[in-house]
Amino acid sequence: MSESNQTDLSRRQFVGKGAAVAATVTIAPGVLLYGAAEARNLDQPASSDVRWGMLIDTNKCESGCNDCVSACQTEQGWGGENSNEKLSAPEQKVQWIRKVDLKDTTTGHTQSLPIMCQHCESAPCVDVCPTTASMRRDDGIVLVDRHLCIGCRFCMMACPYKARSFVHEALEDQKPHMPRGKGTVEACTLCVHKLDAGEGVTACSVACTKGAIVVGDINDENSDIAQQLKRHKTSQIRADLGLNTGVRYRGI
Amino acid sequence: MKKVLYTQTEGGKGFYLLLAVLGAIIGVGMLGTFHMEHNGHWVTGMNQQIVWGVPHVFAIFLIVAASGALNIASIGSVFGKKIYKPLGRLSALVALALLTGGLAVLVLDLGRPDRLIIAMTHYNFSSIFAWNMIFYNGFFAIVGIYIWTMMEKRYNPYSSKVGLAAFIWRLALTTATGSIFGFLVARQGYDAAIMGPMFVVMSFAYGLAFFWIVLNTSYRMTGRELGGVMTKRLKNLLGVFVAGALYFTIVMHLANLYAPEHKGVEDFILNSGGIYTTLFWYGQILIGAIIPLAILYYPATGNSRCGVSVASILVILGGIAQMYVTVVGGQAYPLELFPGHEVVSTFSDGVINSYSPTLSEFLLGIMGIALTLAMVAVAVRNLRFMPASLADSVADPHHK
Amino acid sequence: MKPVRKLLGLLSAALLLITLVPSAIAEVGPTIPKPIKGKQCVAETSDMRRNHMDYLKKHRVEALRQGVRTKQYSLKECLECHVPAKGEETTAESGQFCKNCHVYVGVKLDCFECHATQPEPLDDKSAQGHPVATPAMNAMGRIHQPYSALVMNSPATQQREAK
Repeated sequence: MSESNQTDLSRRQFVGKGAAVAATVTIAPGVLLYGAAEARNLDQPASSDVRWGMLIDTNKCESGCNDCVSACQTEQGWGGENSNEKLSAPEQKVQWIRKVDLKDTTTGHTQSLPIMCQHCESAPCVDVCPTTASMRRDDGIVLVDRHLCIGCRFCMMACPYKARSFVHEALEDQKPHMPRGKGTVEACTLCVHKLDAGEGVTACSVACTKGAIVVGDINDENSDIAQQLKRHKTSQIRADLGLNTGVRYRGI
Repeated sequence: MKKVLYTQTEGGKGFYLLLAVLGAIIGVGMLGTFHMEHNGHWVTGMNQQIVWGVPHVFAIFLIVAASGALNIASIGSVFGKKIYKPLGRLSALVALALLTGGLAVLVLDLGRPDRLIIAMTHYNFSSIFAWNMIFYNGFFAIVGIYIWTMMEKRYNPYSSKVGLAAFIWRLALTTATGSIFGFLVARQGYDAAIMGPMFVVMSFAYGLAFFWIVLNTSYRMTGRELGGVMTKRLKNLLGVFVAGALYFTIVMHLANLYAPEHKGVEDFILNSGGIYTTLFWYGQILIGAIIPLAILYYPATGNSRCGVSVASILVILGGIAQMYVTVVGGQAYPLELFPGHEVVSTFSDGVINSYSPTLSEFLLGIMGIALTLAMVAVAVRNLRFMPASLADSVADPHHK
Repeated sequence: MKPVRKLLGLLSAALLLITLVPSAIAEVGPTIPKPIKGKQCVAETSDMRRNHMDYLKKHRVEALRQGVRTKQYSLKECLECHVPAKGEETTAESGQFCKNCHVYVGVKLDCFECHATQPEPLDDKSAQGHPVATPAMNAMGRIHQPYSALVMNSPATQQREAK
């Protein structure tokens, strides 16, 4: 009897373990695929199932640190020491991302944080563009379609964050993945070329040595950014405008 | 009322001299435009903080005045006031000419003016800017048809209906132009629904002032009579419109002053803004409203053609000052991202933005005015826009 | 009348001479630099000559506005084969592939107001983002771009993927 029991037990065990293994084998590729879902099939258009966002922890930002700005400049080919804007006055040069230093006038508290295009859901720049050049891709990234931009600068008037810049002179030596030219408007693209390639990071998020910048799919509950957004209190700049920005901040 | 005779103006030395002067101004303006377009906007004073400058000030002034210039024709056709009927053709012509001049300046300042076709074929219907383009194009069509019904005798009966359509269309157009600023929630100096109606009333004033200058000058230059009755009527109208524009300005600023949120920008415009404060008080209010009202309503000056002309010029200057304060002043005041904080950055956050307009920008703006006047001059020479006489005996419907 | 006619005749002849002689002396056809890589374009040459503007126009809408980054008609990918990267010019042929033909036929090019005229050099470390198949995607066997095998196997693509 014990023998048959043992055999039954071992068979049960075998079946149980086998089922567990089978389940893992079935689910694991799904988990792997799901984890690498950021590497979207580039044959297909971007989908609104995904919403790209950024979380910036301003508690980790230092005044005087410009790593994110420098990284963006190198990656996207604007500004910096080797700026291809040679004729423009300083106030005419573009700036996609900038560090802003704040001081509370009542309490004296100081802090520092980077500001770039906030990739709003109800972006005013998209609303006001007469030619549909200013657009929001289905996965949440706000872009300028420079094929259609006529350079009217109305989006710059409308942007609550002064995120957009106008190119005042003819440019050369653009980065091949980032075409930019005279007479059109540009802004942070959330490194759409890197996100589309499946890298899941932006130049600024990689460059920040303090780990203050996190990029990811806000709609994906399992992503790092979604979990951080759920765990910690975050806010939007100018939240009263009701724009539902894709860039959120901790510590302001 | 006697039948009105319309005639073309005669050519001659004066006409060609006028065209030569205007042509020279337009030529120089085109040089400036080409310089800007070829090199890029780095040659202008506009920068990342002040993106709309002097060209836009002139362009928006001309466009706003355009819809106002149509007023006289509307009052004649739509509201049936017989005394204004003889002026209908000229009024509509000046309206079209002003709009052409304003749009020319606007389009030539675009970063990519070569892409105008794209602007015409890719419309974003949630953009007030795109709606403005639709309204401008429609304005040309409707006012063109309106002029035709007024000039072609067998279509005269239709002119009141087309005039009504033109009237409604221009109200929508000017409201949309004002809403370009009024719909911008981002900026402290804009974001006011009243800006739409305010621009409508301002258009009445600026348009009539410009129309009077054209009327008076062309009648003097061609030796035609312009009687006291017509002068008095137009003077009264101008006075009412200028007072109306002043009223809307007062209401807008009072409402803004009431909200602590807008105190900063109101203090900037009304008190601490340097050039903007000067232009507001001395330009928009004093020169643009108070002195013209005084001239118009003081009998000795108000009833003379010269007095009305001076008042009109002052209204126009005040209007350009108002546009500068609105367009540039609204951008000079920084965006309020962090209320209650001092803000410092490498991108001019938290500071009053500076703007030094360059010569090219002024040349482009003045070219718009010259283009308008040249169009009017050529049109009245070739077609019968102007009544042969507006003397009291002809113009006054109650004349015995 | 007669002297005027003579003068007009002379002027016309002079005009014809001035315009026809240089074009007769000049070489026929544009100097088109040879492609750097690959033996075959992504489509037939005659098809490309006639239709490349339509393909590019359609692709730019898909790529930018929808995020469909196929490589077949991507302008950036054209440059990979047709234009040497900066510092890697091997022949003495002057000009740029697209511009040479366009200047010859007198059709103004707008693309290169914004687009880089040369592809990224291979050792440029800042070329982080590039819409190719990443190693991760290839590992899962997801080769998704429908481009000709020759382009896929070109040395440039192989080198980049090996990085």
